[in-house]
Amino acid sequence: MSAIVAALPGPVPYRPSLRKGLQPYAVVLALLVFVAWSLDYLDIDLERLPGLLGRLADVLSQRYFPPDLEHIRRPDYLAAVGETFQMSYAATVVGMLIAVPLAWFASFNLSPHRRLLYPAARLIIAGCRSVHEMIWTILIVEILGFGMLPGTVAMTLFCIGFSGKLFTEAVEAIQPGQVEAIRATGANALQVFVFAALPQVRVAWTGIAIYSWDVVFRASTVVGFFGAGGMGAFLRESVQRVDSHRVAAILLSIIAIVFVAELISAWVRDRMLRAVA
Amino acid sequence: MPTTTSSAPWPISPAMPPVLEICDLRVSYVAGPEVLKGISFAVGADEFVAIIGSSGAGKSTLIRCVNRLVEPSHGRVLFNGRDMLRLDSGDLRRERRNIGMIFQQFNLIERMSVIDNVLTGRLGHTGTLRSLFRMFRREDIERAVRLLDRFGLAEHIDKRADQLSGGQRQRVGIARALIQNPGLLLVDEPTSSLDPKISREVMALIRDAAREFAIPVLCNIHDVALALEFGTRVIGLQGGRVMFDAPAAEVDQIVLNRIYNMEVL
Repeated sequence: MSAIVAALPGPVPYRPSLRKGLQPYAVVLALLVFVAWSLDYLDIDLERLPGLLGRLADVLSQRYFPPDLEHIRRPDYLAAVGETFQMSYAATVVGMLIAVPLAWFASFNLSPHRRLLYPAARLIIAGCRSVHEMIWTILIVEILGFGMLPGTVAMTLFCIGFSGKLFTEAVEAIQPGQVEAIRATGANALQVFVFAALPQVRVAWTGIAIYSWDVVFRASTVVGFFGAGGMGAFLRESVQRVDSHRVAAILLSIIAIVFVAELISAWVRDRMLRAVA
Repeated sequence: MPTTTSSAPWPISPAMPPVLEICDLRVSYVAGPEVLKGISFAVGADEFVAIIGSSGAGKSTLIRCVNRLVEPSHGRVLFNGRDMLRLDSGDLRRERRNIGMIFQQFNLIERMSVIDNVLTGRLGHTGTLRSLFRMFRREDIERAVRLLDRFGLAEHIDKRADQLSGGQRQRVGIARALIQNPGLLLVDEPTSSLDPKISREVMALIRDAAREFAIPVLCNIHDVALALEFGTRVIGLQGGRVMFDAPAAEVDQIVLNRIYNMEVL
């Protein structure tokens, strides 16, 4: 065999380490062991799993079938569907008007004031996120009473937390060179944000905005369950009356509408991204 | 180890005070050794100072201390007699307007048009509200067009910056710095992303513009041949210190070998 490089005179200064090679597998193994331990600790009986699908089919066919499709074609229900759309749209737009400046303040690389605005904006976004959207709904219904308003407010808070975090992450991932260049011209903090950051995050932000509406809409379909208006209110009513055929129809309609909303958002996203790229 | 020459007795006539005076500049990043260990020199109004030195010698850090893209930990940076390190954020911005900067990676706003990129050089002189709508002043737009025309980019004005070649992009970067009407040009490895032929063109462009508008230049460049050809004076950095500081004509192979530890040629 012809040697391309000459043999080393002394011992090879590098030795493969089996310990390092095994490390990633050890981590996966540890995770699985923890799952097994959790199942044991929680006393979860896995033997009941195989029958699950069969029983689900039984329950669906005996209790929920046929769905009361008449119920979801009533004008008041259709009006509620429209209201749910409006609620999610208003909450997303208002939420984003608030989330955009917050994202600027909360981005460490571009924040106009790292000692005050940065932590304040981080706190607001984290605060919106740390409370689950349904808990927000319950809290705000407590304060404002039933209706569309508490639902819209709760969804706005949800949108601020959700899109604010994603917007911020996009800004923090931009190329620092362009920021340096704009800063070096003597531009102020807002000018640096508008000229160095916005062109770089335009595509990502457009995607995030549409995705946020998608997620907010899905949440909006159930806020009514907690008294905050929209389709969810009908769900609650039917559940309380144990009217399973109606519950089935409403659940079907929610699934169908969320599916359609996702198709719409995918289409809009595609069109928008092509426009801003 | 060769001896360190601190502030070189560079002849500056009393009638012409230095544009830039750096005294005992030190920089240390958090939890690390000092990157610059006491740099001192002055730049006169008609100088093209080429700073050479191997990677990690502190060249980039040094020029970024002048407009405080990097915050030094000690020393003075006098620009036209004002200490840059003592300015509050508002005064710093006003002073940055008078210092143009040219970058290794061009640092253009890729998704913006060529002319808007040049006009960002006027942001410091453009009100925030105007700039939000990219309503740059008429005279600024005229100057941007003239600069681009002069640099052979007239037909690319409306193109997006990311559609240009490397040499064209660097020319846009130079136009962006020049439209500031700077009193000093900071240039950071302007040719490292370019091929040898374009590199010389770009260097000539910077030199000619600097001469024409009488702008002193502080230029990092690791290519020694270019440094000697275009610089009027060469400062060698090594390990965060000034190893030599001499007119370009006096730099010989011995000095170069010293700074690159015999790695040159």
